[in-house]
Amino acid sequence: MIAVEQLVKDFGEGPVLKSINTTFETGKVTVIIGPSGSGKSTLLRSLNYLETPSSGTITFKDTRLSDDPKTLGKVRQNMGMVFQSFHLFNHLSVLSNCTVAQVNVLKRDKEEAKENALNALEKVGMKAYAHRKPSQLSGGQKQRVAIARALSMNPEVMLFDEPTSALDPEMVAEVLQVIKKVAREGLTMILVTHEMQFAKDIADRVIFMDQGQIIEDRMDDLIFTEPKEERTKQFLNLLNH
Amino acid sequence: MVVLNALPPSFLGGLVGIFRNYYPLLLEGLKFTLILAVVGTIFGLIIAMVLVVFRLLKIENHQPLTSKIIKKGLKRFSILYIGFFRGTPMMVQAMIFYYGLNEMGVRLAFLYAGLVVVSLNTAAYLTEVLRAGIESIDPGQEEAAKSLGMSNALTYRKILLPQALKNMVPAIGNELVVNIKDTAVLSVIGVGELFYFGRSIAGATYRYTEAFVAVSIVYLVTVMIAVFMLKKVSDLFGKDAKQLLASESEGMV
Repeated sequence: MIAVEQLVKDFGEGPVLKSINTTFETGKVTVIIGPSGSGKSTLLRSLNYLETPSSGTITFKDTRLSDDPKTLGKVRQNMGMVFQSFHLFNHLSVLSNCTVAQVNVLKRDKEEAKENALNALEKVGMKAYAHRKPSQLSGGQKQRVAIARALSMNPEVMLFDEPTSALDPEMVAEVLQVIKKVAREGLTMILVTHEMQFAKDIADRVIFMDQGQIIEDRMDDLIFTEPKEERTKQFLNLLNH
Repeated sequence: MVVLNALPPSFLGGLVGIFRNYYPLLLEGLKFTLILAVVGTIFGLIIAMVLVVFRLLKIENHQPLTSKIIKKGLKRFSILYIGFFRGTPMMVQAMIFYYGLNEMGVRLAFLYAGLVVVSLNTAAYLTEVLRAGIESIDPGQEEAAKSLGMSNALTYRKILLPQALKNMVPAIGNELVVNIKDTAVLSVIGVGELFYFGRSIAGATYRYTEAFVAVSIVYLVTVMIAVFMLKKVSDLFGKDAKQLLASESEGMV
C-alpha cells in the first residue's frame, strides 16, 4: 500500500535517513522501534510528507507523493496521523475537532460528519466529552480524541508517532487499549513506540531502526525474544535493564 | 446659530457655555471620529488578514521559479507596506494620499479619503500583531491540520486565524482606542471630525483653551467608554469553554 524507495532525509547535519527501502502492506500493523535519534519518527513523518524527503520516493497506492498541494491533500486525508503531543485544535470543541476536516476537506454534510464523529468518539470512549474544549481534558483523553479525529476521516492508514510518550504513566494504558481496539478492526497501521510489551502484543511486523537505517525487519514478534542482529540485541538488552 | 461673545468670561463659565452652545457641533464631530475609528479599524483588520498571508509566505527551494518570484514579490510588498505606514506619521500619509490623488484628478470626499488613510495605516499595525499571533501558535496545530488533508488556505482560515484573532482581541481594541485619538490628524485634510470642529469652535469664540479642553473631555469620555466595552469583549473571549459551550454545541464549524 505504501512503498518507500531510496528515501534519504538530511536536515543539513548529516543524513537522518540513509536510503530506506521498504513497503507497508494493507491490513498489517507495523511497529517501528529503535533508540532516540534512529530516524524512526522522521521515517513515519515522511510517509505523509510532513517531512519532505531530501531524495527518494514515497508511493501511496498508485500515487507518487510530491509537493503538489492537491495530490498531497488527497493522500493525507487517507492517512490519519496521531502525534506525540496530541495537537488538538485548541479553539474547537472535541466534536468540532472531529468534524472540521470532514466538512471542509471531504465536503461531508454536517449532520453526517457529526454522526461519524460521534461514532469515532464512542469508539475511543470520549463521546460524553463531545462538547468539552481540549483544555478541559487530561492527556490521555486528549490523545483518545486525537485518535477519534483521525478515525473520523475514515482513513485507509493510521500513523502513530510515539502516541504515549507525552503521557503520565497512569494514562498510557487507556490510550494503548484504544489503539489495540482500532488495530483489531483491520486498519493498516504504522506505529513508532517505546512500549515494547504493547509492540509485541499488537505487531504483525516489527522494524528495528538505528542510525537512519533499517537494521532488522521481522514479520513476527520473535524479534523480542530471538533478535538476529547484534544491535537489536543490545537495544533490547538496554531496555530490559 | 453662533452667538459671539455670549460666553461668560471665566474659564469654567466659558467651558460650560461651549458645551451648552456648541454641543451639536461636538456631537457631529464625535460621530465622524467614531465612524473613522470603528470603520477604519474593521477595514484595517480585513486588509491585515490578507497582508499577513503575504508576510508569512514561505519560499522554499524546491518550488517552481515563477511561484517563487511571485511569492517573493508579495512578501517584499508586505514588508515595504508595513515599513512605510509604521515609519511615517499618519498626518503625512494623509497629505500625500489626499494631494496625490487630487493631482491625479481623483477627488475623494474628505470622509472617504480619511477612511482610506486610517484603514491603510491600521492595517500595517494589525498585520504585525496578527503575524506575532500566528507565529506564537504551536506549529503542531498546522501539522495536525495538514495531516488531515487541509490546504494552506483552509489551515489558515479554520485553524490559525481563529486562534490568532482570539489572542489579538486586546491588541485590536488598543488599535481602536489609538484610532479614536489619532484620527484628529485627519483634520489637516479637512475631515470634519471632533478636533476639526474643536478648531471651528475655538475660531468662532476666540476661547481656545476652553474649546480644546471641551474637545479633550469628549475624547476622554469616549475613550473611557470604549476601553470599558473592550474589556467586556476581551473577558468574553478569554472565558473558557463553559460560557461558549452553549453557543458552540449548536453550530459546528
